[in-house]
Amino acid sequence: MGLLALGTALDWPDAKKQAHLVRAWGIKQLLEIWNKAKGKERDALLWGDEVEYLVVTYSDDDPKVLLSLRQADILTALANDTALSGKGGCVPELQDAPNSRTNAPLPVFHPEFGRFMLEATPGKPWGIDFKELLNVEPDMKLRRCIAKDHMLPNEYPITLTTFPRIGSPGVFTDPYYPVSGSRLRSQFVPDEIANPHIRFPTLAANIRSRRGQKVQVNVPVFRDENTPWPWKDPTVNYDLHQWPEDDDVRSGAAPDNFIHMDAMAFGMGSCCLQITFQAKNITEGRQMYDQLSPLGPILLALTAATPIYKGFLADTDVRWNQISKAVDDRTREELGEEPLRNSRWRIPKSRYASNSTYISTDPRLRPEYLDPDLVIDEAIKQELLDGGMDDRLATHFAHLFIRDPIVVFDEDLHELDLNKTDHFENIQSTNWQHMRFKPPPADNSIGWRVEFRPMEIQVTDFENAAFAVFMVLITRVVLSFDLNFYIPIQRVDENMETAHARDAVLDKKFWFRRNLFPVRPPRSAHNSGSTTPNGGLSRPATPAGPVEDEYRLMTVNEIINGTAYARGGEADGGADDGGEEDFPGLIPLVESYLDSVNVDVVTRCELATYLDLIRKRASGELWTAAKWIRHLVANHPEYQRDSVVSEEINKDLVGAVIKIGEREQKGKGFQGLEGEVPELRMLLGAFRRCL
Amino acid sequence: MTKLILSTGNIVSGGPSIIRKPGVYRSNLELTNSLRSSFLAAQQDYAADAYSGTGSDSDNAAGTNGNGFHHSASAWIAHEDGVLYVPRIDWSLAGLQEEPAQYDITVKLFFLATAPVSKRAHYANEALDLVLKELRVPSVDLLVASFPGMSFDGDCEWEADKLNATQGDDEEEAATWPAIEELHRQGLVKRLGIAEFGSEKLARFLKRVQIRPAVNQINIKNCCNVPPPLVKLAKEQGIDLLVHSDCTDILSRGTLRELLGQGPRGAGVLADSESGSDGLQGDLAPQWVVKYTAVVRDRGVIENKGYFAGAGLAEV
Repeated sequence: MGLLALGTALDWPDAKKQAHLVRAWGIKQLLEIWNKAKGKERDALLWGDEVEYLVVTYSDDDPKVLLSLRQADILTALANDTALSGKGGCVPELQDAPNSRTNAPLPVFHPEFGRFMLEATPGKPWGIDFKELLNVEPDMKLRRCIAKDHMLPNEYPITLTTFPRIGSPGVFTDPYYPVSGSRLRSQFVPDEIANPHIRFPTLAANIRSRRGQKVQVNVPVFRDENTPWPWKDPTVNYDLHQWPEDDDVRSGAAPDNFIHMDAMAFGMGSCCLQITFQAKNITEGRQMYDQLSPLGPILLALTAATPIYKGFLADTDVRWNQISKAVDDRTREELGEEPLRNSRWRIPKSRYASNSTYISTDPRLRPEYLDPDLVIDEAIKQELLDGGMDDRLATHFAHLFIRDPIVVFDEDLHELDLNKTDHFENIQSTNWQHMRFKPPPADNSIGWRVEFRPMEIQVTDFENAAFAVFMVLITRVVLSFDLNFYIPIQRVDENMETAHARDAVLDKKFWFRRNLFPVRPPRSAHNSGSTTPNGGLSRPATPAGPVEDEYRLMTVNEIINGTAYARGGEADGGADDGGEEDFPGLIPLVESYLDSVNVDVVTRCELATYLDLIRKRASGELWTAAKWIRHLVANHPEYQRDSVVSEEINKDLVGAVIKIGEREQKGKGFQGLEGEVPELRMLLGAFRRCL
Repeated sequence: MTKLILSTGNIVSGGPSIIRKPGVYRSNLELTNSLRSSFLAAQQDYAADAYSGTGSDSDNAAGTNGNGFHHSASAWIAHEDGVLYVPRIDWSLAGLQEEPAQYDITVKLFFLATAPVSKRAHYANEALDLVLKELRVPSVDLLVASFPGMSFDGDCEWEADKLNATQGDDEEEAATWPAIEELHRQGLVKRLGIAEFGSEKLARFLKRVQIRPAVNQINIKNCCNVPPPLVKLAKEQGIDLLVHSDCTDILSRGTLRELLGQGPRGAGVLADSESGSDGLQGDLAPQWVVKYTAVVRDRGVIENKGYFAGAGLAEV
């Protein structure tokens, strides 16, 4: 989560007055860093992962599982324990790791929006030495172990995306606070659910205030045999008259057949797995941003882990749209519900949404892939162009800068400091798109980076490491083979919606590019063109057929494993290039990459294990966490087939997740846990049964 | 005897030929597919050039070479100093994007059963020279020597290790190695390696060499259990066990004839008496194959990968 500067945070009416200034200064800071860093070259691949946890209280004799709001105490305990060791079992665990990094910097813990959340990152970024990739999983386990060691005995860090009963009537936090506070004005969650640092309650309050109403997070409810239909969210209180916003539900904010939620915490309280890569230069960064963009929805569907909201089974499997709605600060005018009077434009998407444009200088980026209706601030674009930035990148930032800053600190407005990037970051880091293109920091000490943000957090560190490592390998494959994943950006949006469906990973099809491979440049083009071999970046314009012919609908299985695998066949021998509809698959591409580099036997086997997990999730041989959770609920003796996830079911679900986590921490494998955790084999297969 | 040098150019961004087919673990498909696409691409490019009149005047195009090779179809083939380059190589396109120190360059040299052992020193020089010229580097980081008749095959690696002990030819391998060591002494290669040596063969081999291999490539299929004797020996000797997926007998006589012949998937370079097609005549024998890979060290990006193959055409 962005900057945590201290100061006097302005309430919305005052912040709004300063929005123009913040944008103006932000653009100046952007141009400053862009000028400083646009020529940066040859930065190494460094990358980092971020794992987010929910902190829950759980004990066998307590019927309730609660969200612990002791984030600040836990972070203080972690900060005060500079050695981060000597307690509990973390140290031996670290030494047992196959490639333990002696003297490696210890993990770093960060606050998050939810006061029941923690975020942990590795102590230093990872490189691309293949052996180092094997350190990711032990490091994730170490983070969890250290976190647990600084909690109370009945507190646990778990990696579920959302707490199944957050916002349910009654008690779901420890300690308990009443709902309907002045900041969130939520009838489901207390103000104290958010991190008390002034940034976070201000963020929530100003989003609500700018919007002119509470956020509306409505998720379709899953209709089971005994679910009343039409379904009216029974937890909505229509008789609350504490705040003007309490009228929202009386004027239709909570439609039938939707689980209704009304606060930022329902979205920003979700945990995800984010990966950030450093590019060798700005050109490669822009290329990676574009090429990873179409992969976002695929990885979202593949990591689906969010089937429950506020104590009800939802009809969606992922968190994305709920977060999007939970931070949607658009006014009614911007939403298109009222004619434009005070707002500057209609805005089709929330600040938290899929990418809206491509930014690469790649000649393969056809104009048809871009959104002709992209909303941008023309004046800002002009300023960036005047500052020397190219049209495409200027368009990207002029799009991000259509937003207002939400949290503005009075102290930062005294003078413009071009040695900082605070105003730029203010806008940039509150544009939560599924990719983020990150310029170097003001001191230019690190390179251009790209963040991949759509993945849902997984229950185990094994799975989280697998997805993190997979994405790193994918970036190497894209750059090595010069792959082209471009499809029109609106199709990526569509895919993002598709990814929400229940079991989208198996049941839905996604737009994906048919042919990923570059066109071979003819020799004569070489002779007449530039003299330096440049990895194929300046290929001649190829005769372009209709854009619609470049992509088709594919299943996640076909995209990840290839059409041959998806058909269940072995090698389809014979033809080299296969039929027109043959698609190689991302995992075979990764394997081909690994075949071409020097990897030792042990490392290759471990990497193969990660690829196997992903292969099986994509093919349906294993279940996503979402499907596994649904199964746990459906087969719970307490479940009434009415979509309700009761306290008891919640406790057993969280209990199962804790058991899996404890077993993983012990490093002895999941063998024998099947009796205690239903259908564990469908979630994790035979992986990590014994170590 | 005419020498043929076959080349693929950079295949890393060359499309599907580099992509492993599901279920195929050890094969020469990458080599044969990329040679085929290289021939096809060159034929197209130089045909276009001939029409537009921009390229390939007859200055060094394959003239009459005594083998009856018909030069009108040969714009894409070069005949230089008694060597036929199939396709012709434009050395002006050679080189890497950054300075050599940025790369980890691995070269794998496949000695073939179809060529005499006595010539292997010559082949090694010839192959490495081409790679150094193609990448425009003074040296490479790793040279792996692959000997014919070896495999690391079996249901699981245990069995593979046992089988392996009887494969290959210890005498020939030991006799070849000094030529490889010489490349290291000359500073052309930083580390040496071998492929497909099981524990017994490796132990025997180590007794007979001056410069020990730093790398042994083995082929692992589905099971990841490397035989413990091999793990132990490699650890004791400081030898890295790396994974590969090549087969040792990577280019056979038949495959080469098919690649260059008049068949539907051939390049039409060889004469065919049945169809009456013009072309090279004689007994064609593959001599060696070399694979090279240049990876940007701290970015893990493969920038250049390709093959050369050497063959001899004996007049009959």
